[in-house]
Amino acid sequence: MFTYPVVQLRALLGKIIPQHISPETWEWLQATGGPGDFNKKFVLLPRKTGKTPINLSAEDGNKIREIRQGFSVEGYTIDRLCRVWLLLQLDETNEAAYIRAIENLFQAAEVNELVTLYGSLPVLAYPEKWTGRCAEGIRSNIGVVLEAIICDNPYPSEYLDEAAWNQLVLKAFFTEKDVNRITGLDARSNKTLADTLSDFAHERWAASRPVPLLQWRCVAGFIDVANFADIEKVVASENPVEQKAGLLACYHSHYPPAKALLSRYPEIKNAIESGNINWHSITEDKNVPVA
Amino acid sequence: MCCNGNLTEKDLQPGSNDGSYLETIRGMRFFDPHVHMSSRTTDDYQAMADAGVVALIEPAFWLGQPRTEVGTFKDYYSSLVGWERFRSSQFGIKHYCTIGLNSREANNEALAEQVMEILPLFVYKEGVVGVGEIGFDDQTAAEEKYYRLQLELAKEAGLPVQIHTPHRDKKKGTTRSMDIALEHGLDPYMVIVDHNNEETVKEVLDRGFWAAFTIYPFTKMGNERMVEIILQYGSERIMVNSAADWGISDPLAVPKTASLMKQRGISDEDIRLATYQNAITAFGQSGQIDEADFTMVRDIDQSQKFSGNTVLRGGQAPRIDKNDIIIK
Repeated sequence: MFTYPVVQLRALLGKIIPQHISPETWEWLQATGGPGDFNKKFVLLPRKTGKTPINLSAEDGNKIREIRQGFSVEGYTIDRLCRVWLLLQLDETNEAAYIRAIENLFQAAEVNELVTLYGSLPVLAYPEKWTGRCAEGIRSNIGVVLEAIICDNPYPSEYLDEAAWNQLVLKAFFTEKDVNRITGLDARSNKTLADTLSDFAHERWAASRPVPLLQWRCVAGFIDVANFADIEKVVASENPVEQKAGLLACYHSHYPPAKALLSRYPEIKNAIESGNINWHSITEDKNVPVA
Repeated sequence: MCCNGNLTEKDLQPGSNDGSYLETIRGMRFFDPHVHMSSRTTDDYQAMADAGVVALIEPAFWLGQPRTEVGTFKDYYSSLVGWERFRSSQFGIKHYCTIGLNSREANNEALAEQVMEILPLFVYKEGVVGVGEIGFDDQTAAEEKYYRLQLELAKEAGLPVQIHTPHRDKKKGTTRSMDIALEHGLDPYMVIVDHNNEETVKEVLDRGFWAAFTIYPFTKMGNERMVEIILQYGSERIMVNSAADWGISDPLAVPKTASLMKQRGISDEDIRLATYQNAITAFGQSGQIDEADFTMVRDIDQSQKFSGNTVLRGGQAPRIDKNDIIIK
């Protein structure tokens, strides 16, 4: 069953979509057909709707985020939005049949369909049943598919177990996604992830490759005697942005030596406290190395 | 396979076509113990042959996206011992393979069960030199289950094991892979641990396993780092491979690395061990590698056929190996 007021989402999308497609297409989309009609509609839908980006008012965007906490259709094209709407029309009363129907779409999907389907995980019924599918998606090597799962998607942080969650975060670093766009990143950070990222930093240093700055965001809450040397190394970096990242991690740490280290850089400490340096400003800084 | 981190426009520009490095390794023979030729073109086969690659191992892996049916696994394994072996022979290179269920696809348990059932059909075939590449990717419970089952299969078949170590959480994943192999009573001398780096090599060698290094641009080892590894650890139980596949990779990684080693003053014997002999010694424990075959396959006749098919297409003249005449 749905864990949010799906009727409201159906209605709101049903209001937005007709603003973007012809009345004939809207009628076609709503018409119910025989068996196989759902699959056919899902697949050939872009031919009817086109693929132009949608115009989403700030008000509607906010409403969607309220109806399904954290879900956003910002940046969607009209075909993607129509596909989400279509998914929401699928009868969910028979759990096995519902899951089979959507799983079939996943198995035969091309890239845009995969993006749509993984992006829709937060609004599907029986959310606890999609964890395996989500973990499978994280194994994908297709950049846009990964992005649909990793960025601005509230599903993973709500439902994945720790191992799958950690894979998502690691994969985000490996494939250079915008880690700041991971929903629930700080809340789901954990010791295991921090340890793995520490190993990763050593691997990158051994290979003379840059270490992603945002990984220290995930380590910050778990700075301890074992990994403090890593933080000291980052803070000692000649690259000012890397140094700021290290100090930002110290700021978010409860480890006293990290606090002491931060206090040796009063200017940066002030800038952090006044909000001028944060994890978003770090990635926007022009001096950022390719990482 | 991997993601291609840190690529810049500059990296994607065509490199220099200066093939003079080939001069420094003229006459040397190479064995690439990990290369996914099914994803490569005939140009690659020709270039490899010209650079001195005489034999290779193609491990079974995933094809970039998950398969959904057992039949596609069967056809894939069958192509590794069939068409691809033939195709390779048409370029004068002896083709071996390892057969296994890769770690990523082990996560689809319903399918993995069916794949396990067909594996015995393939692992006993001629020219199958190991069970591979198997091991961990995400390090899930399902991956562990099928890794263990395949270790048992390798033990039963008396075959070496080719272990893929994970990209993410590599250090712990490598240690865990070795722990489990030992737990199943495998002799570390029968196990090739692949995709090592500076952080993993010491433990792998100390515990008596073979350490393979993948020279793969941007994501795994660069060959200058490889030279440093040889300088530090020597060449005992170390081997170099390309793991070239459908990503930005280099099927000439082994000869190029040999050339670089030569330039940096590493002895011919160490180069021979790391780029040829050690792989043969390790995978030869399968009883399936005969060096005499390498010479035999050099006598190329591209007009031969496999099930009525040939690598030649309408009107192409066969390229018969006559002292390295390159047809471009």
